[in-house]
Amino acid sequence: MSLHWLKVATATGVAAIALASASYAQTVRVTVAEYSSKTGPYFEKAASEFEAANPGTDIQIEVVPWDVLQQKLTTDISGGANADLAIIGTRWLIDYVSQGIAAPLDDYITDDFRARFIDTFLSPSVMEGQTYGLPIAASARAMYYNKSLFEEAGIAEPPATWDELKAAAEKIKALGGDAYGFGLQGKEIETDVYFYYALWSQGGTLIEEDGTSGLDTEAAYAAAQIYKDLIDGGLTEPGVTSLNREDVQNLFKQGRIGMMITAPFLANQIKEEAPDLQYGVAAIPAGPNGDRGTYGVTDSIIMFENSQNKDTAWKFMDFLFTTEKRAEFDENEGFLPVNAEEAAMPLFADNADLKAFTDLLPSAQFAPVIAGWEEMAAATSNALQRIYLGEGEIKAELDQAAAEINGIIEANN
Amino acid sequence: MNRSIFTNPYVLIAPAFLLAAFIILWPLFQIGEISISNVNRFGQLRGFAGPDNFMAVLADPQFLASLWRTVIWTVGIVAGTILVSIPVALILNEDFYGRGLARVIIMLPWAVSLTMTAIVWRWALSGESGMLNSALMGLGLIDQNIQWLAQAGTAFPMQIAIGILVSIPFTTTIFLGGLSAIPDDLYEAARLEGASGWQIFRTITLPLLRPFINIAVVMNTITVFNSFPIIWATTQGGPANSTDILVTYLYKLGFNFGKLGEASALSLLMFALLLFFTIIYVRLAMQGERE
Repeated sequence: MSLHWLKVATATGVAAIALASASYAQTVRVTVAEYSSKTGPYFEKAASEFEAANPGTDIQIEVVPWDVLQQKLTTDISGGANADLAIIGTRWLIDYVSQGIAAPLDDYITDDFRARFIDTFLSPSVMEGQTYGLPIAASARAMYYNKSLFEEAGIAEPPATWDELKAAAEKIKALGGDAYGFGLQGKEIETDVYFYYALWSQGGTLIEEDGTSGLDTEAAYAAAQIYKDLIDGGLTEPGVTSLNREDVQNLFKQGRIGMMITAPFLANQIKEEAPDLQYGVAAIPAGPNGDRGTYGVTDSIIMFENSQNKDTAWKFMDFLFTTEKRAEFDENEGFLPVNAEEAAMPLFADNADLKAFTDLLPSAQFAPVIAGWEEMAAATSNALQRIYLGEGEIKAELDQAAAEINGIIEANN
Repeated sequence: MNRSIFTNPYVLIAPAFLLAAFIILWPLFQIGEISISNVNRFGQLRGFAGPDNFMAVLADPQFLASLWRTVIWTVGIVAGTILVSIPVALILNEDFYGRGLARVIIMLPWAVSLTMTAIVWRWALSGESGMLNSALMGLGLIDQNIQWLAQAGTAFPMQIAIGILVSIPFTTTIFLGGLSAIPDDLYEAARLEGASGWQIFRTITLPLLRPFINIAVVMNTITVFNSFPIIWATTQGGPANSTDILVTYLYKLGFNFGKLGEASALSLLMFALLLFFTIIYVRLAMQGERE
């Protein structure tokens, strides 16, 4: 008797759950990385616009701080509780693809859709001939310089080469104020990237053609020597290993850094936080052979293979990549346009700051698509920190980091 | 009295025991399973790996370096905390005007999140605009900013000092409880006999406080050994891993590098270490008490 009652109850319960999920069949959960305080509101607004245009759909946005995004996604995926769509760093994508987590999007992508993109930004998400992500955020790096400091020090033009940069930094140092010539980042995320600008300008590469690390090359030694000379000459801020990217940017906003290399979004921050700062944006200095390289970064939005509502999820993706939505997002966050039509809009085309970045795009290098990249980046950062602190010789440290990286490459193949 | 099954102590304790076992043992079992498996970065198991993950952790030079630093970190903070907290508790136990307020002030930091405290210290230690540098300059102790967090030589001792500061409220509370349990007539009798303050402390207060010190040592050791926020918020274990302790190293292994198998193996090793030393300490301390 009681057993029968239990069966009925269970059956009713299951039916109720089935019904409930049927009525919410159009629910799409989206995990979003928080780029700034405007990110959450932007996506909430996009979700409600989409819901209004597509009755019966329910878009749920989860905003996650960028630092813990990887951790949150890992936990969600291992527990089988991941969203339908998520923003990830494109350099992580290879893991998502090789483990069958990310769904290929080619069945949905029409030629028209593909034609919206600037190819430089779409190509990093293409693996083994399939497109696995769409570039939701794109940026590159260029050199910011403080016009007032330059004027005071009698520097006419932003430096075009590293030698000129050093000379300019010396002039700023000679002013004797509390300003530093060159802002160098030596802590936390992208410490390695800050070094690559110098590396690329010397004609170096991260991974050589034979598939081994490019850190044990003359180009890499020369690049490290440039930074080491700047540190030893007192031309950078003191204690570089205690300053991360935001710390150096803050010094720049305070007008205390002559030159630094960073992303387009610093211009947005300056507009809001230090509107009186006179700054300019120029190309990253070139090496002796005229080589230069900027770091191209994209974040991708991916669809999960286990999503139950792929069609609706795709429709929402499509909506996010309409020219209008893209322009709104990129203007908010200070990212580069990834959509050709958007890039032609006066808002972006006539923006002098952004132009310095887009001009560098032909020399944009992306982080190599290779398993274990984060570990290699950490090995590089560690070697650099020891060099910056004077705890190790340049050649010995870089050779050791290269050996470590080669070991990681081997272990992952 | 009629002994029903419902009054059997084992039955009475069963629900709580089962709940505790589920909460404590189940994750432990899961971690054990991951640690002997091949596991991808999303925590999905891909076959049996045997002791590979443990071997990989033990072979990593970062493991030994972090272990050694964890020992310094734990011993430094626990010893420092006890040494500071005993006099603080003694003073707060005295009857003086404003004692209530003083006790509240000592306890207040306890209510602030550890991460927030660590972030505030990160600002205070900043080489450019940090409060500590300004204060030392103002006092004329230094004539140039110190880059506290730029190298392990200054960063790690500061991190230990922060660890001591944040552990004081909890430890002082334990000692205050211990002190209030010591009967006043013992002190009166000692004073009548002409004992000095130091003698009273050494022969009455300290021995009677012993069980509380033991509790404070064990509890602090466990939390400090596994304490993540101070180091993570100030240096993330850098520069060049020189301030990494086992937990920060564990976090990097698991979440930055996606080596969940090795991370699980490491956390089991940490669990075993902590269990081992806690048991040894508790046994030694209890032996001391019995004597």
